[in-house]
Amino acid sequence: MAQHHLIIGGGPAATNALETIREFDADASITLVCDEPTHSRMALPYWLAGKIPEKHTHTGDDAYFKKLGAQVRIGERVDHVDPASNSVTLSGGDKLDFDKLLIATGSSPVSPSIPGKDLPGVQPMWSLAHTQSVLDATAGSAQPRVVLVGAGFIGFIVLNAMFKRKWDLAVVERESQVLPRMLDADSAAGVTDYLTSHGVGIHTGTSVTAIKDDGGAKSVELDNGTVLPADIVILATGIRPNLDLIDGSGIETDEGILVNDHMQTNFANVYAAGDIAQGPDLYTDKPAIHAIQTTAVDHGRVAGANMAGQTVAYPGSLLMNIADVCGLQCASFGNWNDPHAETMTVNNSRQHIYRKFLWTGDQLTGAIFTGDAKDVGMLTDIGMIKGVLQTRTPLGGWKEFLRENPFDVRRAYIGAGVAQKLIGTTLTGRPARPRQFHFGGAKPVASVGTAHQAFVSTKK
Amino acid sequence: MAAQWAHHRAAGGRLLPRMETFAIVNATTVNARWEKNEMAKMLNIVPEKCTGCMQCELACSWVQTGTFQPSRSLIRVNVFDEEASYAPYTCLQCDEAWCMTACPVNAIGVDEATGCKVVSESLCVGCHLCTIACPFGTVFTTPHTDTATKCNLCGGEPACATTCPTDAIVYTEGKQSGDWFAPWAQKVAANHASALDGAPSAN
Repeated sequence: MAQHHLIIGGGPAATNALETIREFDADASITLVCDEPTHSRMALPYWLAGKIPEKHTHTGDDAYFKKLGAQVRIGERVDHVDPASNSVTLSGGDKLDFDKLLIATGSSPVSPSIPGKDLPGVQPMWSLAHTQSVLDATAGSAQPRVVLVGAGFIGFIVLNAMFKRKWDLAVVERESQVLPRMLDADSAAGVTDYLTSHGVGIHTGTSVTAIKDDGGAKSVELDNGTVLPADIVILATGIRPNLDLIDGSGIETDEGILVNDHMQTNFANVYAAGDIAQGPDLYTDKPAIHAIQTTAVDHGRVAGANMAGQTVAYPGSLLMNIADVCGLQCASFGNWNDPHAETMTVNNSRQHIYRKFLWTGDQLTGAIFTGDAKDVGMLTDIGMIKGVLQTRTPLGGWKEFLRENPFDVRRAYIGAGVAQKLIGTTLTGRPARPRQFHFGGAKPVASVGTAHQAFVSTKK
Repeated sequence: MAAQWAHHRAAGGRLLPRMETFAIVNATTVNARWEKNEMAKMLNIVPEKCTGCMQCELACSWVQTGTFQPSRSLIRVNVFDEEASYAPYTCLQCDEAWCMTACPVNAIGVDEATGCKVVSESLCVGCHLCTIACPFGTVFTTPHTDTATKCNLCGGEPACATTCPTDAIVYTEGKQSGDWFAPWAQKVAANHASALDGAPSAN
């Protein structure tokens, strides 16, 4: 009998699992329940920036789900999961049975305990509704004043979107530096300097004590005595997994739902993936929540393959982040914050170019980069660093070469033989398939300009 | 508690044995090309024939960007002057397609005619994630559009292969792009291991 798969969630983990289940099992019955339209949270700041329309953030539509043969219940919530009876209860009271269940409900912003956090115009920037709300609140205003509370990755991608709109921006961060979960103190100091010189107010090492309403406009009071005027206040003080629906279910949790290398929970037919799943990490022995797109996709594909009867083991996810901070690119990988590592650092503070390699013996275990998008060195070898970290290739004598030539990663990468380790390896045992939904029905086509024809024709 | 979970927990608190890299696991079924073991056209590199003349970089930057800027070429010649060893290097159109799976807006897909992975510029929002997800370092950002770019095999007529004066780059059928890579890289590594130690290289 065909298996019935139930997927809760509509982010990258959920939609990748859906497509992967279908890839391996043409007959399975699949139901997806999600309280929002399936979309990419990562794309929301680009909608906010005015670069793309709202629909461009969506990652599925009716035709897509029909093509995949999936039943969808968009706009509905799962209130409770009961692995003992292999069923879930929706907020409307309906019960849905499953043979295999994937929980991919992601995470939500934490609400800081600040007086005034519930005032109109004070909000997180996490969902489709939040984005619409910011756009509504700022419509018709040429340069709204925005205070962002929290200088983490999410706060900064929102900052970048608002910077592109030339809004009046200030950031408050409780810790002593910006991007504390992504950059070390020295590179963060460079980022602060860059942002300050571009007109963004940076207030680190200080907390918001209260947000007050001055008849529409707001004032944000800091514990160092500073008062910042604001039209809107964005709260970006962290996220936590949406675990409410498994309360009392017996599913084992730590910070998130604990999963093995098959993305299975302690119930063999219940899987978890994405921000809610605490699973294998390439660089630590402790299961981790990375809360990043690439991990969500890997989780979804591994879970989907295993749910469809394959045996696919996940080697673990590699922590990595890249953020466009108002034109300055910042990235970090792996154990970038390891206090025991040997380090090599280049710090050109005048041009905000920063590059740090972290080593354990001759093994690169982490890296931090900042640089201008036009800095070729930044953007052409950054993937190679990921390849070195992912394959755990010992660099031998190339380590000393990199000390002398930190911008010549290419030669070390080739010489140490990283690329051949990666050729032919796949996550699910077969070539990755392209995703089956493209905004506006855009078809991926390799196109070349007129220069190509002119050039190639002379060579024939 | 499920037996499988107990097993993983019992193994010294670690969830699973480490693997060097993604492994091919239980490949019971595969997609069309794999299933039929079909040959596809791909860029094949013959490093012994490469003289390091960089014409491929000029041609690529011209046809892809309309400028003669090797820094914007999608193919890059690896130069090991000290042993007179060179090899052009670009996207291998790898099976795992890390760039494609990473993309949050499905802007990277597969071109039907050539099978290559292509960025749809109209869909790319400029998040840069593919540039760090590609472990080969062959996805780039076009600075003035802030969109991702990578080798698209020039739609089936790669200018690098057309222009290469020594046939070091050929666009021919093969089973796995990058077959040429391991022997060459091993040779470079062997030569260079001695060079890095300060000894003269063997050949």
